[in-house]
Amino acid sequence: MSEAETNESTEVAGAVAVKPGRHKEATLHEALAGAGAGDGRTLAQLREAALRAYESLELPVWRRSGFWSTSLTSLHLDALEVRHHASEPARPLPEIVAATLPDRPRAGRIVQLDGSVVHVELDPELAARGVVLCPLEQAATDHAETFAQWYSKRLTLDRNKLEAANAAFWTGGAFLHIPQGVVIEDPFEIVYAIDRAGVAQYGRTLIVGESGSDFRVHEYELGGDFEGQALHAGAFEMYLRDGARCRLAQVQDWGAGAGEVYDVSTRTVIVGRDAYCHWLPALLGGHLVSPHMELAVTEPGGDMGFRGIFFTEKEEHLDAFAVDLHETGPSGGDVHWRGAATGASRASFEGLIKIEPGAQQTHTYLQIHTMMLSPKARLDAIPSVLVSADDVSASHGGTVGELDEDLVFYMQSRGLDRATAVRVIVEGFFEPLLAELRDEPLEELIRGKLAAKLAAAEQDIETYAASR
Amino acid sequence: MADLHITNLHVRTEDREILKGVNLAIDKGEVHALMGPNGSGKSTLANTLLGHPAYEITEGQIVFKGQDITEAEPHERAKAGLFLAFQYPVSIPGVSVANFLRMAMNAKRDEPINVKEFRNELQHAIDLLDVDRSFTSRHLNEGFSGGEKKRAEILQMAMLAPDVAILDETDSGLDIDALRTVAEGVQRLHDEQGLGALIITHYQRILHYIKPQFVHIMLEGRIVLEGGVELVERLEREGYDSIRQEFGAHV
Repeated sequence: MSEAETNESTEVAGAVAVKPGRHKEATLHEALAGAGAGDGRTLAQLREAALRAYESLELPVWRRSGFWSTSLTSLHLDALEVRHHASEPARPLPEIVAATLPDRPRAGRIVQLDGSVVHVELDPELAARGVVLCPLEQAATDHAETFAQWYSKRLTLDRNKLEAANAAFWTGGAFLHIPQGVVIEDPFEIVYAIDRAGVAQYGRTLIVGESGSDFRVHEYELGGDFEGQALHAGAFEMYLRDGARCRLAQVQDWGAGAGEVYDVSTRTVIVGRDAYCHWLPALLGGHLVSPHMELAVTEPGGDMGFRGIFFTEKEEHLDAFAVDLHETGPSGGDVHWRGAATGASRASFEGLIKIEPGAQQTHTYLQIHTMMLSPKARLDAIPSVLVSADDVSASHGGTVGELDEDLVFYMQSRGLDRATAVRVIVEGFFEPLLAELRDEPLEELIRGKLAAKLAAAEQDIETYAASR
Repeated sequence: MADLHITNLHVRTEDREILKGVNLAIDKGEVHALMGPNGSGKSTLANTLLGHPAYEITEGQIVFKGQDITEAEPHERAKAGLFLAFQYPVSIPGVSVANFLRMAMNAKRDEPINVKEFRNELQHAIDLLDVDRSFTSRHLNEGFSGGEKKRAEILQMAMLAPDVAILDETDSGLDIDALRTVAEGVQRLHDEQGLGALIITHYQRILHYIKPQFVHIMLEGRIVLEGGVELVERLEREGYDSIRQEFGAHV
């Protein structure tokens, strides 16, 4: 598996000597460039510009020569619609949300079902201290000044048709504002759920952590059991100001049932002066998922840990792009992703370290480890480093592995049946990242989801073992 | 019939036949030594007894406590009370020694072991093997020294309390202190729990600490000579060459 010392592992990349301007971007996707669309224009103007982009763009196809294409041409966008629900305080949580989210203390929770926010709760004590958690629609009017300052500051609106669709049509949404110096231990939960086919969900989240704030955000994207297509085109932006700290985790599981959820989303986290973000997306399922995730240090002293997990099964297609961007130095980065694939799924992970001119004294590292669990699955990990400064260190590494049969036999010889042994190995593979969450309910939730996916893939894993 | 009864065992890998008719009988409470030069088939026998998928049994039978386990899955053999201390234990990333032990113990039981009972048994095993308490919170075998890996094997053996344990070159690569600790641990498990053991070794030195009642010499896939502890002394004096000469006609 993932260990260099086992003969089934292959070192895919070593450290690279860093010389400015010597590296090409091997990734198919490109990092966001600096300023976003929100350059003083009003929300109406931005929606208008996005609508024009939407109308002029075709559904994207990303062609990756030598690998495969990620194509959205099979998405029947015209057949989808934004469905609204009445928001009533007494409304019960959508079933998929109630069944998935851990029962635990929390600072607040906002739930969007299809096109509408159906549930908002916030610890009254935090509200009294100035914390705001509300639908983004509401923030546009009720917190107009903050909204105008930060909305789409770093997000663009016309890179592809679905990004434009989000910027033009978003409804509901989530807005979280943590005032200066407020420290909160329990997480804020932001949930996007789709529980029926035919839905287009344009979710949008804006989070601002003022100076010295310290908080946790758990974002969930959940799909119910249904048949047919649905779309989540999401946008997420978080701004951490001087010395702010956030531990951000994301659990994405659109379900592996008959529902075909397409998810094309962009997320960016901006780390300000001496600020810190630990971000762990767990991408656990969806028919076609293509997230662009960017963690950017934009002011001196910023630091971040970018962790990620992905697990694909059945016919799922994942095309993930993660960027570790450094606009100024000194700054730190540490990117560590782990992924596994079963069934006939395809997973591609592209990781990019990008160090801009002037980001001197940046030190960062990117590692990607993958584990193949099926003969029909396809898994690619593509690291790349783009450096335009000379006093920096940046390197990447990783392993490509399969299930180690000696490890399975060892555990079987201790009395664990084969399925359990495989589960323990795969859990152990992800464990270094899960343990870093430092949040037991969330760790347990992700472990449970991984275990269920492995159990569903047992036959596949057997076939693979027998074929080798 | 003995607790572990091996009859006319023939085993091959993809490219060649390794065991060519092994017969061996081990009872609970007995200590057997299986000696032989490198490549004689000792480790193949150990792995085959636990059902390693790379080894194919072409002829013969393994019966354990009255059950034919020739075709049984490895975990079924373990649950029946067989144990293998590996020559080269693999590391299990992300799984602590204590968690792994708890999983393995629960696999053998109907009800999960309660926390207190587990702690007591773990403490007993820790004392027996002279390991540090922190040892059990480390990931199993990850970054362990050779000696630590072997101690971890015996620690697992102590906790799982098998009827018959096969120790595959547990002595190799150990310094004398580690060897003594490991050997004394095995001896105590024998004395306290009536462990039956098949100690596979290439050298004689572990047998200075664990006294076998039965010694078997393996050459080229067959047990060619059996006897008591005097065989160890003969090997010490004469080496494998004299035995090879004596039994050369058969191999």
